Amino acid sequence: MNATLHVPDGTVGAFARAVASDLILTEAHELDSRNWAAWLALYSVDAKFWMPAWLDENAQSDDPNTQVSLIYHESRLELEERVDRVNSLKSITTMPLPRTIHVIGGIRLLAHSEDRIQASSSANVHVYDPRTSDHHIAAVRYSHTLSRTGDGPWLITCKTISLINDRMPSVVDFYTV
Amino acid sequence: MDVERLNTLVEDRPEDDIFAVNSAVFTDEAIFAAEMAAIFEGTWIYVGLDSQLPEPHSFFTTYIGRQPVIVMKDGDGQVGCFLNTCRHRGTLLCPYKHGCQKIHVCRYHGWSYNTGGENVFVTAEATGQYAASFTEADHDLVKVPRFESYRGLLFASLNADVPSLSEHLGDAKVFIDLVVDQSPVGKIEYVPGETTYTFNGNWKLQFENGLDFYHFSSTHSSYVDILAERAKRGTIGVLPSEDEPEAQGSFNFHRGHAVNWSILSQSIFSRPLCLEQDALDAVRARVGATRAKWMLRQRNLTIYPNLQIIDINSAQIRTWRPLSAHKTEMTSHCLGIVGESAAARRFRIRGYEDFFNPPGLASSDDNAMYELCQAGYAAEAGPRQGYARGMASRPGAAQKQADELNISPVESAIGVGKAFGAKAFGGETNFFPGYREWKRLLQKESAR
Repeated sequence: MNATLHVPDGTVGAFARAVASDLILTEAHELDSRNWAAWLALYSVDAKFWMPAWLDENAQSDDPNTQVSLIYHESRLELEERVDRVNSLKSITTMPLPRTIHVIGGIRLLAHSEDRIQASSSANVHVYDPRTSDHHIAAVRYSHTLSRTGDGPWLITCKTISLINDRMPSVVDFYTV
Repeated sequence: MDVERLNTLVEDRPEDDIFAVNSAVFTDEAIFAAEMAAIFEGTWIYVGLDSQLPEPHSFFTTYIGRQPVIVMKDGDGQVGCFLNTCRHRGTLLCPYKHGCQKIHVCRYHGWSYNTGGENVFVTAEATGQYAASFTEADHDLVKVPRFESYRGLLFASLNADVPSLSEHLGDAKVFIDLVVDQSPVGKIEYVPGETTYTFNGNWKLQFENGLDFYHFSSTHSSYVDILAERAKRGTIGVLPSEDEPEAQGSFNFHRGHAVNWSILSQSIFSRPLCLEQDALDAVRARVGATRAKWMLRQRNLTIYPNLQIIDINSAQIRTWRPLSAHKTEMTSHCLGIVGESAAARRFRIRGYEDFFNPPGLASSDDNAMYELCQAGYAAEAGPRQGYARGMASRPGAAQKQADELNISPVESAIGVGKAFGAKAFGGETNFFPGYREWKRLLQKESAR
């Protein structure tokens, strides 16, 4: 782990924990409210968004250059493409758009420094498809890396999503996990 | 099922310009059960790649139709396919997807099998007071009757009464070769990380869609828009181009197989094969200009009944396990060319995730369409008009293209092409071989 990061303690740790908790819950709120522009604004331009695939019963892919990921993006531009696809009203998967609720728990601060916070959390993502009346729950673990430049806002620079129930339903996208 | 019933389910009268598939073929659970016996347990089924068994005692598990199987490489390198069920109480012997172990021990009572499928241990046999008939009986795993490979693709048949795999594949082999021969060592592999998903629809929706160029510009219009935006921002690698007129075409083969292909004057994205000019030059020198040209053309191959190989800016091996008339489990793999550069591999993986992977930008639109089709089939609206495009074309229309590959397809079609264009041909007569084979197998099963 990076030497500049240290184990949280005292008020600084409490502040970092509050920042992480606020950003993770805000992200869930923007996704569930379909505030796509506000969701994108939580990410840095060079943000990584990664949902690894499973290699077997126990291990997930850990090298996107030699292994397949379920989702792998290396910039906010690629997330914008996904949002554009939803906004286009041309993708069948959004006609109608599934309704979602991200229920987030177990937010843990893993490390922090003045300009960087790492946190993990778990979530049940309820996905209800009004087209089919199907209700599916994606069971996921998140890892967020948050950063800021100077006094700028804290932004998500890396989000990793571990999907444990990986026999997926017909539609899986950034807003359903 | 008797011939009369089959003829009402699939009406195939080319002399009257009629081809129709009754929606019951997609929705009736009794027909589904007949399909499982006659098709998925009656002909050659794709089970995996030999590269999934890298060393002695490697194994992977899968299904043939409804039946669980285990494919194992023994200590001498011999590969076998067995029913994945203990001979004692019928327990699923191996619950893992893949791995490497010399002995498979049933968790229930400890009966054990080696990687050749032989029973090597019956727990407490001496104290079991078994009758002589038990001692003399064969306790080995049940071998799947037929198991053969072609260019590293493994196929098995629960029905012993099938021709050789080579005869089964026929000229479709040439299109497998066009994938495998991209490798300087003639090998393909799964890029690690598979995707399994389900859709609430009949498996034949996937069968048809994999051969359907007509849907692309409408179903995937949101993806087409993204491709156009990306092209404006710039591209990487060599973009395939051809002097020949733009076209879309297909070849129909025996035993249900078919392939679609497209000829583009200018592709808007590269291919792993031509990402680097020197790698492309090496392929051309090795396989010749004609076959290299075909390797760069988009090709959607269906090996009936459960395998599709799509080769474009990435390559996908897609296989399926029908769960009911209304539900299908899909397994998707990124197909890797052994020996390609790290850059080409990375390009391939990103392309796969972008388009083929179900959480990507296109496949989920297909899945949603299958579910809308399955829902629509409940309407008793008479014969659907979905098998008509290309009906008026000559059966040997793409003879020139067939000659280039030295193949003799049963039928071929060719029409106007344009990358993802709404005015392209998008023929539907390439679905016919699958339904003709469907009918042949169901008729054969009923005669047994």
